Amino acid sequence: MSPHKTVRTHEMGDTLVVSVGGYLNSLLGEEVEKVVRAELEGGGRRILLNFGGTRLVNSIGISFVIGIVEKVMEREGRMAFCEVSRINRDLFQVTGLAKYVRSFETEKEALDYLSGNA
Amino acid sequence: MGAEASFREDEFFGREEELHALTRAALEGGRGIGSSFMIYGPPNIGKTSLLLKLAHVLRTSTGEGLPRPFPLYFSFSQILSHPLALSQHFLQEFLLQLLRFLGEAQPSAFNPAAMCDRLASFGVTGCREVLAAHERCTAEGDGLSALVNALSFPFSASGDLFYPVFLFDDFQYTGKLQGVPDGAMLSILRPYIKSGHFPMFLSGSSPGRVTASLKREGLFGTFQMIEVAGLSADSSIRLWGHLCERRRVEIPASLLPRASERLGGIPVYQRMLVEEIFFRNAKVPDAITLENLYALAVTEGKLNRYWREFFENTFPDRSRRGRAIRFLKRVLCDRFPLDTVEGAISLMGVSQEEGEEILSALEFKGLLKADLEQLSFVGDPVLADFLYWAFERGVLGKGTSQVAAAIVQAQLSHGSPEPGQGADHARRVAIVKELMRKWDLREVPLLLFDFGKFREKFGGKGLLEVVIGMEHEAMRVRLPKVSSVSTGYRASRGGPRFDFDLVAYGFLEGDFSEENLVIWAVDAAVEKNLGARAVEHFENRCRLLALEKGLPHDRLRKWMLINETADPAAVDLAEQYGIHMSHPTQVRLFLNLFGLEELEREPEPSRSGGAPAPRAGKPLEYELVLPMKADSEVVAARVAEEVAAFAAVDADTVDRIKMAIIEACINAFEHSASESGKVRLRYLLSPDKIELFVQDDGRGFRTGKAAEESKKNRGWGLKLIRELVDDVEIITGPDGTVVRMVKYLEAGPGKPATAKETGGPASPGER
Repeated sequence: MSPHKTVRTHEMGDTLVVSVGGYLNSLLGEEVEKVVRAELEGGGRRILLNFGGTRLVNSIGISFVIGIVEKVMEREGRMAFCEVSRINRDLFQVTGLAKYVRSFETEKEALDYLSGNA
Repeated sequence: MGAEASFREDEFFGREEELHALTRAALEGGRGIGSSFMIYGPPNIGKTSLLLKLAHVLRTSTGEGLPRPFPLYFSFSQILSHPLALSQHFLQEFLLQLLRFLGEAQPSAFNPAAMCDRLASFGVTGCREVLAAHERCTAEGDGLSALVNALSFPFSASGDLFYPVFLFDDFQYTGKLQGVPDGAMLSILRPYIKSGHFPMFLSGSSPGRVTASLKREGLFGTFQMIEVAGLSADSSIRLWGHLCERRRVEIPASLLPRASERLGGIPVYQRMLVEEIFFRNAKVPDAITLENLYALAVTEGKLNRYWREFFENTFPDRSRRGRAIRFLKRVLCDRFPLDTVEGAISLMGVSQEEGEEILSALEFKGLLKADLEQLSFVGDPVLADFLYWAFERGVLGKGTSQVAAAIVQAQLSHGSPEPGQGADHARRVAIVKELMRKWDLREVPLLLFDFGKFREKFGGKGLLEVVIGMEHEAMRVRLPKVSSVSTGYRASRGGPRFDFDLVAYGFLEGDFSEENLVIWAVDAAVEKNLGARAVEHFENRCRLLALEKGLPHDRLRKWMLINETADPAAVDLAEQYGIHMSHPTQVRLFLNLFGLEELEREPEPSRSGGAPAPRAGKPLEYELVLPMKADSEVVAARVAEEVAAFAAVDADTVDRIKMAIIEACINAFEHSASESGKVRLRYLLSPDKIELFVQDDGRGFRTGKAAEESKKNRGWGLKLIRELVDDVEIITGPDGTVVRMVKYLEAGPGKPATAKETGGPASPGER
């Protein structure tokens, strides 16, 4: 329920896992975008957004996620989501995000998919 | 230089509004329209950090043209109380900081003459003359002149190159200078402050003292006051993130809001607790561990040491320290209702002189504010726990682990509503409080206070009969003139309570004099049937109060209000102890005499015990006014969550309602050209639906900004709302726009109530 922005990242193989915690609003969205942009500029092409810690989302936050997806697609990268709550899944569906990016229950499943094992 | 040296730029979070205001005022000094600020707040809340951060911001500000603001940070706490030493130190600091400001990396700090020469090369002349004058004053032992000489220097030295911005820290210490009258410092600075060219920021923990000096100097109106409190939840959490990362301590994000609240959002505590966790090499998987670590820190770790040293410094005398701690414990932990100096001194049970000294020391250190004899104390949760420890250890002799366990337990049970804190109890207390205020020496039948006799005489009779009977009652009692009534708090520590629901101070005759003083302690029973134990307990607390106030027994009146019924044993005991006892019927008669009406008891839904929701009753209505401010929609979502909890709807529906309200709020924030800057929300909870109204006073929708935003994939707001709730209506009228959203609760409680399926799994990768 906290409106704070927490973005944590860690590398798993050549995938950058970005954990989005708290309230996904414009501030946090921007933060996530920054992290992903840096990764793309540094040559990284596999991005996993983990929404396990995301408590609240608003439409501006979602628009940032859409922007991120567009950027990754532009650079021909691969992307996945994991641990998306039911309500957020619905929101991703409504905004069309779900058409472009697959969601997985667990981080491991998503990582397997990104590394081509699934 | 202690505070300055330990300030870490990267650990400064939040306080954006304060910084903004201060920076602006400082920059406006360049144009002669700068204003001055008095920054105050409890000890170690972060005032110094705020000043140092401001100094940093000003130093790096790239203002157009010259002169530039030169932030001069100076703390008065570091200096000996002799004015010569102070002025010497001040001059040196000024020269040093100015040289650094002008670009000298490592000025020769201990050689003032050399610094003067260097400054001359930067175009700042006249330094040597000032030093010489200062030496003359020193030789003559003329402290005041030396001070004038030193403090005026920055103003005369400034010119086209820079103008000084004073950041005076710990300003209350200026009142302690030897041989210099209180307020002399402000007299010296007065013309500069008045000019508007030299913004001055005074910071201190003792606002009462400093504002009194400002008033004496006719400067009070020139200063704006900024009270520094704990960090906002958002900033506090960002600080947690930073601290944990630096120490590689992992605390789940979900615990952070609670942890912040626990520490009052006070940065120094956060730092200490993270250090504590780090040094103990502890893992923090859950709330219980965190509470335990906190309790350890406050009973034997860093937080404990911090406050122990604080009290040792403030009260070097051991017995006085004990008295001060015991007194503060009563006020901060047991919430002893107290707001006057007299009350405080009688609670301490010491002489007038010593009591005043203790209060003065506490005020100096910022633990209390005194304004017109009205005292208010800091609300510092960690200090309260420390005092609790000190009291339990020192007075009751309990072991540290025992106290730590009590603190943990109190925290974990915190938040669950205590019996008796319900709205009904609060209402009963409030109405009796109002009644007591109206007493004003009137005489009333004694029977109103004597439940035993009242029952004997009127038991089983109709109300009319009772009213007529009471009018003929010969035994009457004269009520006092009540000067103040404080509402107590039920102690939240789980243990026995120390205070009362109401404590009234009154006078038996019209005159307000010591001899006429009478105190009424009142408790409104929570339990339906009042038992003898409750009476016993009430009596014990009364005795404690009488002891602490030094009251003769006839000056403390004890009054218990029965909730529904009372045990015969309780009634007997009350009579034996001389406790007045009144039944609701008596209270009603009492209220009638004073033209007051008892409010109808409303069956308010309570969250405990399964909350039978409003399913059978009329709709429940809640209102909320939000400022149009970043993230305040989260508050609206939070309230929606609480409201929905009354209807026992499933989590998914609650989520949908929260998201819908967030979107509606953001829309209102973004699109309405509102004048008031506020959004009004109404939550209407009926048996079959939750209705949400989000109203702004803007005139329709502003298109410009929205069009710009939509470039960034914006404009989902309404679409999402329609998806999330069952009905959406947007009504734009002359008074603004209302978005009405309805979520139907057709399914029974506990079952999913989502009316709409968004269809199919969200993505191919699922399950």
